[in-house]
Amino acid sequence: MNAIEIRNLSKVFGQKTAIDSLNMTVPVGSIYGFIGENGSGKSTTEKMICGLLIPSGGTIKIYGKDYKDIDVRAKMSCLIESPGCFSSYSVWNNLMLQATNLSIPNPEEAVREVLKLVRMEGAASNKYKNCSLGMKQRIGIAMALLGNPELLVLDEPINGLDVDGMRIVREVLLDLSKKGITIIISSHILGELEKIATHYGIIRNGSMIKEMTSEEFEKECRTFVALKTKDLDKSRYVLSNKYSRVEKDEQDYLRIYDLVTPEEVVTYLYSQGIVINEIKVDKIGLEEYYIDLMKEKEY
Amino acid sequence: MDNIKFESPTFIKRLKGMLGVDFYRLFHTPLFYIFLGIAGIIPALVSMGFSTTDPVTNQITGSTLENIWIMVASNEPLYVVSDIAEYANMNMVFIFGGIMVSIFIGHDYKSGYVKQLFTTHAKKQDYMMSKSLSCAFAMACMCVTYLIGTIVAGIFLQTSFEVNVGSLLISILSKMVMSLGWSSLYTFLNVIFRRYFGVSIASSFFFGTGILIIGVAAIVGNSPILNVFLYGSSVYACLSSNILTLLVCLGVSCSWTIIYIVVGTFILNRSDVY
Repeated sequence: MNAIEIRNLSKVFGQKTAIDSLNMTVPVGSIYGFIGENGSGKSTTEKMICGLLIPSGGTIKIYGKDYKDIDVRAKMSCLIESPGCFSSYSVWNNLMLQATNLSIPNPEEAVREVLKLVRMEGAASNKYKNCSLGMKQRIGIAMALLGNPELLVLDEPINGLDVDGMRIVREVLLDLSKKGITIIISSHILGELEKIATHYGIIRNGSMIKEMTSEEFEKECRTFVALKTKDLDKSRYVLSNKYSRVEKDEQDYLRIYDLVTPEEVVTYLYSQGIVINEIKVDKIGLEEYYIDLMKEKEY
Repeated sequence: MDNIKFESPTFIKRLKGMLGVDFYRLFHTPLFYIFLGIAGIIPALVSMGFSTTDPVTNQITGSTLENIWIMVASNEPLYVVSDIAEYANMNMVFIFGGIMVSIFIGHDYKSGYVKQLFTTHAKKQDYMMSKSLSCAFAMACMCVTYLIGTIVAGIFLQTSFEVNVGSLLISILSKMVMSLGWSSLYTFLNVIFRRYFGVSIASSFFFGTGILIIGVAAIVGNSPILNVFLYGSSVYACLSSNILTLLVCLGVSCSWTIIYIVVGTFILNRSDVY
């Protein structure tokens, strides 16, 4: 069963078509990584799911019901861009306001619980305006968690976070996923997304160009042979004479993307008088996959 | 999916939650207290304009106002105004109230709080109602501080306090009832111009002055037909008010509130919120 089913969704702002016949399927219990470049339509799609923007066409079904149904909306929560908090109020008061708005019984207990979930018990009395970006994002997630939602829509929740902040958010999201909560998360930080997502949706120019599970992604990822030698430039020159695609990565590894075994590479380089210091077989990550896919679609 | 139980939050539950937030915000924002203060100062400032001073000592000796309650309402409904004395009364609370409502609602958008509201089970109709009710309460409170300011000004200027107490109370009560209609108008205007804070304030001020009705009154004269409008009914609540005045104000205020909430909800439901 799907938490979200979007069919032929479109959104037009004046003369500009932001979303064009977009289809999207988010299974229940998944962590759906929603990927796309700036202006591709991620936030617009999420805002439509959340009811902030009115679609120009198409349908959005949440748990099989129309997305506007209040019983469905009562089961979902969102963090779009930044949390909608009052800057002069404390973290606690902002969360209490949302708890009041949601008519949660025992609001104090609920607020304490979500603060604990996002590891912010100690910062409850801090004024929202004095919180760091990472804290604000976690407050946004805490706010979204009030009312025990079944579906969370998070727009760029890890942007601007430091490594520790990202780790905490990642852990929180994985905890929530274990509870069966469906999460849609858009982010530019694909490496981070790769660590948690069970499904992916890649959007470009307002249309979904690819949807896949993390298993399908694994299968589609190309393998490559990565190696290190003393003289990388010479090695690259030598390898380029035999293999079609040889690139140097950020960690100073030479990558051979052709279908080749490490043994073949070792033998070849040895015959050319080059000694290999290190060699391994690896797979491209989500970021590279995404870049490749974008290049592919350009042609 | 099978484990998810869908329960529609009742209207009362939703409205209670939203009102809880709005009233909390109202009581915890300096804006509310500033406008209460402004409402209290207005009668003092205006009545000072009518004070007489001793030319030698330059001290205030009295006032040209025959009765301080003129600062609350005119003796008779005066839709056509010829000078500031006929205009400057408790109805001015509704002008400043409009600015307060614009800032209050504008902050919902500025802070992004509307995202928190409209991405949950809240209905647009709940939002319109909650804002109208909470802001009506704020304007009614402003009427009270205006009244206190009037009494203090009257004591200071040593003017007459003679009045038919029943009519005065009905007049004040009627104006407080009108707060609901005015606040729903301002909520409506702020919903229309939500992306343009300056326009929201300007439009609230424009309609709050009742200048349109004053203009119509200049053509049709002091006609009771003008009572169907918010400004007309507000003027109708004068010092010769009776129970009918209260009923008219109640009817007009509630009718316009319903109209503004229905139309405002319609607009919100069909437009992008954020």
